[in-house]
Amino acid sequence: MSREALQESLSAVMDNEADEMELRRVLSASDDAELRATWSRYQIARAVMHKELLEPRLDIAAAVSAALADEALPVQSKTVVRGPWRSVGRFAVAASVTVAVLAGVRLYNQDEVASTQLAQQAAQPSLSTPQAQSPAMLAGFSTAGEQQGEAETASEAAPGWHDQRLPAYLRQHAQQAAMNANESALPYARAASLESR
Amino acid sequence: MRFIPVICLLFGSWLALPAVAAEAQDWLERLADAGQSQSFQGIFVYERNGSFSTHRIWHRVDETGLVRERLMQLDGVEQEVLRVDGSTECVSGTLADQLGDQQAWSAHDLDSQRLLESYDLRIIGESRVAGRAAVVLALSPRDQHRYGVELHLDQESALPLKSLLLNDKGQLLERFQFTQLDVGTLPTDQELQSGTGCQPVTASKAAAEVVEAWRSDWLPPGFILSRVAERRSPASNEQVASLVYFDGLARFSVFVEPLRGVMVEDARSQIGPTAAVSRRLATADGDVMVTVVGEIPLGTAERVALSMRAIEGQAIQ
Repeated sequence: MSREALQESLSAVMDNEADEMELRRVLSASDDAELRATWSRYQIARAVMHKELLEPRLDIAAAVSAALADEALPVQSKTVVRGPWRSVGRFAVAASVTVAVLAGVRLYNQDEVASTQLAQQAAQPSLSTPQAQSPAMLAGFSTAGEQQGEAETASEAAPGWHDQRLPAYLRQHAQQAAMNANESALPYARAASLESR
Repeated sequence: MRFIPVICLLFGSWLALPAVAAEAQDWLERLADAGQSQSFQGIFVYERNGSFSTHRIWHRVDETGLVRERLMQLDGVEQEVLRVDGSTECVSGTLADQLGDQQAWSAHDLDSQRLLESYDLRIIGESRVAGRAAVVLALSPRDQHRYGVELHLDQESALPLKSLLLNDKGQLLERFQFTQLDVGTLPTDQELQSGTGCQPVTASKAAAEVVEAWRSDWLPPGFILSRVAERRSPASNEQVASLVYFDGLARFSVFVEPLRGVMVEDARSQIGPTAAVSRRLATADGDVMVTVVGEIPLGTAERVALSMRAIEGQAIQ
């Protein structure tokens, strides 16, 4: 079987367009390290296209195989064990595979959840802090830790340069829009929401 | 005999496509017209990340076509704007300090033709907002340099009952929504009377020289310069040039402030739907800080900030 055909099948599997033949072909070659590397590259490419961040080194399949290998050893070493024990062993294998898959899924999701939580946490202080505290305002403006870090370095160089100007710039921007005849309510509300901070 | 319905379907959908597009465009034109021809009053909410507020609006169009409009925040600080025929009469509190000139806009707002170059317009269904039947329009951006908008227009008056701003992942950035709307009832003189906190707006000088002083090497497609102004800096005596760019729906402002040797780092932030990016720029007259503020993705704002240039020999005063 040629490598191109295999990659084509792999691509089809990724796009959810593989027929049974192709699926079998890919599955039977799934121990191939090169194929795995290709798969992981495809995933990264797709994630970039969809703008989804993802941890490329997280190879769930490898983790599952490792779990299977670990679990399989005790079962194989006790070949004399009769029916009931065998099935328990199988159950254990299945369970650990499930855990590995679930853990993988959780990792993906947590990433997303954590980032939204971060964003919310960054925004929340601005709700309760009074307007006068401009450093707190700037912290509220940022949505990510990295940006906050930058804001801090900014205040080291020239204390509060951005703090003094950004609220006014934002207001000016919102008001320039609000001065239009046709859509006034939305830009006005936008401007007003900056005042109530 | 089986192919006949298929052909009918194909032909039908081919015929229907331009008709649907025309209908959506028709709604957009009605929307642009709605505020100029109808009186209404109502209550709406505004929500973005970290902020939720309620507002009241009175909008009156009299027999001569003169539009008077009063907007008032109902919760928290009392904030008010009174506008007569498109120009701002008075503004309350801190809203006032940055309001400037009433110079004419070069670009008409909500330009439906220009808007269609950058957005794909579709009717996606019907809905009910503030107890009124609405038609739902989707304005999906044709590139990654702007956000999408979901507009719910009143079936009867074409006034916007609800407007949602969505990013490329479909996450809600901002919500504007009427909870109650009364179309056709004329607001009384008393209702259109501004409160005592509403301060008259004074005009500042127009600044034609700003146009010749700054240009952008790169702009997101569809955005054109819609106005320029020059104002005193909020924190010093420097004059700050401001340029507003507009794509028919979204808008961003570029502020250029001289640094006079002060050491300031670049900065980046996101406030609800609004991105703000500050970048230092070296010019013949010393460094300036370029700040881009607007309802555009952060990456686009960053690229605009990087692309601003001083035009030689016309450096800012």
